[in-house]
Amino acid sequence: MAKRITGSLLSAMVLASSLLCSSVAGAAEQADPLQSPMWDYTRQIFLGQMPWQFDARVKVSAPPFAEDPTQVPITVDASALDGEIDKVIAWADLNPIQHIFTWFPGDKVKPRVSLRIKVQQATPVRAAVLTRDGVWHVGGVQLEAAGGGCTAPSTGNADPYWESHLGEIASRRFGSAQSSRYRFKVVHPMDTGLVNNIPEFFLEQLELRDSAGKAVVKMQLYPPVSENPVFTFDLKGNVGQHQLWLRDNSGNEFEQTL
Amino acid sequence: MLSNKSRAWVPLMAGLTLSLVSFCAAAQTFDYQLAPQQIAPDTWVLQGKMQDFSRKNGGNIVNTGFVVTEQGVVVFDTGPSHRYGKALRAAIAKITDQPIVHVLNSHHHPDHFLGNQAFADSTIWALPGTGQKIAQQGGAFADNMYRLVGDWMRDTDVQLPHKPLEIDSLALGNHRFRFYPMTGHSGADLLMLDETTGVLFASDMVFYQRALTTPHTPGLDIWQQDMARIDEIPYRQLVPGHGPIVQDRAATAQMRDYLSWLDTTFRNAAEQGLSMTELMATPLPDRFAEVRLSRAEFARSVVHLYPRYEDAAF
Repeated sequence: MAKRITGSLLSAMVLASSLLCSSVAGAAEQADPLQSPMWDYTRQIFLGQMPWQFDARVKVSAPPFAEDPTQVPITVDASALDGEIDKVIAWADLNPIQHIFTWFPGDKVKPRVSLRIKVQQATPVRAAVLTRDGVWHVGGVQLEAAGGGCTAPSTGNADPYWESHLGEIASRRFGSAQSSRYRFKVVHPMDTGLVNNIPEFFLEQLELRDSAGKAVVKMQLYPPVSENPVFTFDLKGNVGQHQLWLRDNSGNEFEQTL
Repeated sequence: MLSNKSRAWVPLMAGLTLSLVSFCAAAQTFDYQLAPQQIAPDTWVLQGKMQDFSRKNGGNIVNTGFVVTEQGVVVFDTGPSHRYGKALRAAIAKITDQPIVHVLNSHHHPDHFLGNQAFADSTIWALPGTGQKIAQQGGAFADNMYRLVGDWMRDTDVQLPHKPLEIDSLALGNHRFRFYPMTGHSGADLLMLDETTGVLFASDMVFYQRALTTPHTPGLDIWQQDMARIDEIPYRQLVPGHGPIVQDRAATAQMRDYLSWLDTTFRNAAEQGLSMTELMATPLPDRFAEVRLSRAEFARSVVHLYPRYEDAAF
């Protein structure tokens, strides 16, 4: 008896969801593999009216669960599209602030970056890669979470350490014959503005410049990037010195030779 | 800041979820089916499942135990919920009419103390650090348990320990208990040796065949130092916080092996410049891969601990 009722309830749910899915699929060319209620919305915000496709070559890696919703490690890897990339946008569908970064990789860096982000709840995390032929290639992953990462005060709010160390950069270069990897950490509270009485205060521009001052990495950052962010970039080849430059939304500039 | 479109989904989804939840609740009896297993004279253990918290297991993933003396019962850890605490108490009552005199909370993690309400009329002891941590974080732990295991948690509240444990031994009836305060797993971890039977209740300082968890460890080096101290305790049987009971040193050997491997793996990864997601994808050696939940707990440990190794390598 109990089983039969459960069964009919389940089939009603399946029927309802298949009806819903087919109407969504009808509105777009491809159904969202992550079945996000926000996909149509975020697609319009970030990709506008441009052509797009889901593309397995755009890989977003994240752990299955956000153990610490203020520090969720992600890697965006579009190596398979190397040489054709104009820019990369990453966002989290169900974050109160969705935009994570916009990145212009250029041709001197591998199109692969790792960093940590904040999430407010379980959400798809997506990366869209615009190739030079004007098509967006979209990848993503579903991240489970208990929530609260964007509305938790930064640890800097309870500990004044950051005030005297703001913008300090710790870095290291890891070299090999074919490439060199930069990893660096920047002291910054990265406040989202979603906590009472703590205004938004975050790094919004990042450039890695070569010895001639030319940017080889250019990235715009948004408040979902974690406090005291740690970035990993891979440069092609193993030559020359580089300088890291950042600016936050209060106009503070930070610079260091790596 | 969800769009109107996403809001439109909420009532529909909530309706479906509610009807499913209320239906399942009616069919479920929330019986932990606790079956005490006698492991030594006067000594019983209730072994939890080697799983993560779920709505199926109700949070019963933990080992609890009790010792019956002619002057009353000593209980070591009270389980993940009020329902569990009551079930544990009922299981004890089937074995003895003796009153429950002393209850110990080994540390402040939710599966070890959220059954306290059922023992509020006994003396509940915990290390001073454990009492402080339960007072600070217990409410948040309980909230998270409601999210993870649902209705099994009904009526569960934080019952603080009554007394800070600042003694190193305690006698009751013909049993003499010796306490070993350590810090490696959670910052305040209590081990209890029953000198009369040689049974060591090792709390979550020792996991066996179920991967260890690291959210509040002060450091793998400190945990490793504590493991060396545990190996000097003259026990004949060891009850780990999670996993099967052992009569030899197999559990601590596995712990030392894994802690050492974890420490070396994280240090090497930081020296090689791996990101967290790359480190999480590291294959586990076969001897650890067969330990329950090793892949999931390894990923959690990367989040808990790798930043310290990164900082050291920068």
